[in-house]
Amino acid sequence: MMKTTTITFLLAGILAVSTNAIAQDKATTHEHDHHDHSGHNMNSAQAGGEKQQTDDHSGHDHSGHDHADHDISAEQHADHSAHATSSESAEHGDGHHHHHMDHDHIMDHEGTMIMGQNLDKLPSSCKSISEEVEITVRAGRKYAAKFPGTAFAFDQQQWHVKPCSKVTWHFVNEDNIRHQFMMHGLPKYLYKYGMFHLEVTGPKTVTGTIIVPGSDDTFLVHCDISHHMEKGMKAQLVVGKGAENIPSIPGVTPYNINDKYEAENLPKVSDKAEQSAMVRQITAFTNNNFQNYGMMLIGTIVGLFCLPLLGKILFRKKKTG
Amino acid sequence: MPIHFFIALLTFSMLSPATVQASLKLPETVKVDPAALTAEPMCDPKISPAWREAQEIEGVKIAASPGCSPDNPAWIAAAVKGTNHISMDTLMKTGLSPDAIIKTDDLDGDGDPDRIIIKLEIMELNGKSPDFPGLVPTFDIAPGIQPGAWVFAPKTSGMSTENFESVRANPLLRLPSPVIRVEVGDIVQIVLENTHYFPHSIHLHGVDHPFSHGDHAGQDGVPQTSEVELMPGGRRVYEFQARQPGTMFYHCHVQTHTHLAMGLAGMIVVEENRPNNWLQTLNIGAGHVRHPSVAVRENFDQEYDLHYHAMDKELSDIIQKYNDPRLIARDMNQRYDITDSTEDYYTLNGLSFPYTLRESLIIVEPDQKIKLRLLNSGGESIAVHTHGHHATITHYDGVEHNPVAQIMRDVFDMAPAQRLDLKLETVNDGKHSYGEGDWLIHDHREKGITTNGMAEGGSMSSIVYKSYLNGSGLPKVSHFGIDLNKYFTKEYFERRLPVWQDLDEWSSLGSPGEQTGLSPQGQTSLLNGAIGLLIGLVIYLIFAKREQIKQSAVAAVSRLKGAKGSNQK
Repeated sequence: MMKTTTITFLLAGILAVSTNAIAQDKATTHEHDHHDHSGHNMNSAQAGGEKQQTDDHSGHDHSGHDHADHDISAEQHADHSAHATSSESAEHGDGHHHHHMDHDHIMDHEGTMIMGQNLDKLPSSCKSISEEVEITVRAGRKYAAKFPGTAFAFDQQQWHVKPCSKVTWHFVNEDNIRHQFMMHGLPKYLYKYGMFHLEVTGPKTVTGTIIVPGSDDTFLVHCDISHHMEKGMKAQLVVGKGAENIPSIPGVTPYNINDKYEAENLPKVSDKAEQSAMVRQITAFTNNNFQNYGMMLIGTIVGLFCLPLLGKILFRKKKTG
Repeated sequence: MPIHFFIALLTFSMLSPATVQASLKLPETVKVDPAALTAEPMCDPKISPAWREAQEIEGVKIAASPGCSPDNPAWIAAAVKGTNHISMDTLMKTGLSPDAIIKTDDLDGDGDPDRIIIKLEIMELNGKSPDFPGLVPTFDIAPGIQPGAWVFAPKTSGMSTENFESVRANPLLRLPSPVIRVEVGDIVQIVLENTHYFPHSIHLHGVDHPFSHGDHAGQDGVPQTSEVELMPGGRRVYEFQARQPGTMFYHCHVQTHTHLAMGLAGMIVVEENRPNNWLQTLNIGAGHVRHPSVAVRENFDQEYDLHYHAMDKELSDIIQKYNDPRLIARDMNQRYDITDSTEDYYTLNGLSFPYTLRESLIIVEPDQKIKLRLLNSGGESIAVHTHGHHATITHYDGVEHNPVAQIMRDVFDMAPAQRLDLKLETVNDGKHSYGEGDWLIHDHREKGITTNGMAEGGSMSSIVYKSYLNGSGLPKVSHFGIDLNKYFTKEYFERRLPVWQDLDEWSSLGSPGEQTGLSPQGQTSLLNGAIGLLIGLVIYLIFAKREQIKQSAVAAVSRLKGAKGSNQK
């Protein structure tokens, strides 16, 4: 399936195998040299199957050293981006772990991936590189907060660059899960499938470079975990004046298909006021009753005492009559 | 006046022969042309037949699996060795993330790794997009049947779809959630990376796990007792070292009444500890275990994981109705009423008939002992019937039943969340087996063999003897004149294909065509109308010509009188 894809297993010192996130932050280059272990196993197809003994040093560091229990603060992220995986660091990394050196597909032991990178091939529409820019893209759940009804997002939804510029992307994943920075529609003679793809499980940074074409165009950027794109993790790269906008980018372009929203019967503070109004009504009802009964009482009294009186008066009249 | 009469007569004369003709003949049968159907190949052509063969990859022995859609052997090699012990080449054939399964540390020195880290993500299948009206990534449980679902998926690398042009899900993203296999004594970390847009958790039902773990806090998966919900973008470790073996169950325990049915449920097997016991940590898509544990190999010739599940269309539709997670949450949490719900889709290993024939056949040979592990993750009890066989129940809910008291049955009732281990013996003695054949295995509640109420569907599959298997790994049925092609069309499950139209040459039970001409009722009323018209005409004529009639009457009378008078004279 990937026969044509040359794969490089990259063990950049900074991305040492089982170093947990904090350790990575603190680690010096010297320390990292001691950490290249499990990479061996990835590359060397070991025979022996079930009788094979576990490799000693692939062992210890994996165990229990998941980032899961480490809370990484935003400040520490900044450090991460400084230690980014870049193709350069890959090339100067630990040499004997490489299969091939090819910018087409680079992946480390944790799935950090750079695919379709282009450091030097000029698009046919460009005579030279117009400018070199570096863009930091942050990805995470928290960036969805400003777009109600989304779940994940990039920190920005649109970037503008000049035609023929060389763009280095620092993709900072601030979540504890996988995110991707995937760009589509690039010229296929330079980019396999017309695609440039960065992928990393956070909190961590990955860096990759492309050279954009010489004509005005707009490229889709998204995370290809389907529901991440559908629920907000989508943006566009505008080259020059750009072309047609990409739909359903949070805050930039409208959705093609919209949900229907209706007012809901949610509890409100004013409901409590209504409730006390109800209490009042109930008391008012009893008061009313009291009035009614009172009137009845008065009527009874009148009946008991006044009617006989009235009768007497009438009888008298008859008698006199 | 003659014109009116003429019209009336004409109408009448035209009607009467038509009436006679129509009552003699009912509409013709309309036979659906097979060319009008969206026919799928019975065996998925995307899966290489070479995957069926017994093979060895990365030193891992992988048993033959002659069904038409066997598991990718690279998946098995990665699951047995761990993604940290295989070549980049093999890893790329799996689509797994390089840190999906990490195996290290032979702590007891018995030749197999004892620290196991399994990373699971949560993926959506058949969800909604704000960009186009279709679903993405698609996963058909039967032709054209795409219920919205969520699954625990092994941590993958790259795209959610097969490729750039396709909306079909990457093969690792599928129902059911994968079967997990670990050994007694292994220090297991199941790392949940919540890639989903809702909070979730993992509850290890039946697996020996501490309620709370020093490093990872509460870990029973229950938001009301042990931990808060794991929010999107977050990661949580569930760590345990099981002391007892058995067939167990794991599922999300957040809003369980909906999340479980949505597909966040899988089988987890704790295997007995044995030396050199390199386990197939994940059985993606369940079914045939192509690298069984040492203990299973000691006692059985084969092993199958059979995960029965059920889904409610009304529930799974919610994620196809809205894109906004708040609206999905509202409908699922506050509006969906499970007490009013009915299950519509019944699956075995994530698929319904006829796709169960592709990958969930139990393929046997005479005189074999086969271990079947059954899980019911549906909301109702099921009653699985094995045609042609009585099997022995060896374990209930992962615990061995007293061997002396073990019983044989041919219907296995399973309450929700229940597991049964069965010993199926293909000994032709009239009790264990009635001999070779293509024997159905199905949920005997009859709705269990339907898909959204349409038979044949549901979780039915077969126990097939190899002599009844054709070259492409499907049951050989053509020698009985049986044609299964109609089930491999979406029109069948859209209820648009008359089920019995091909049973005889003239489609005696096919679809009747539309009534041509007039229905008998129509004819009668038209006839009545015509009679009425005729009467009307007569009355009109009488009225219009009343002067004439009067005159002629007078004339007639006078003539009569005249005649009399003349007589008198």
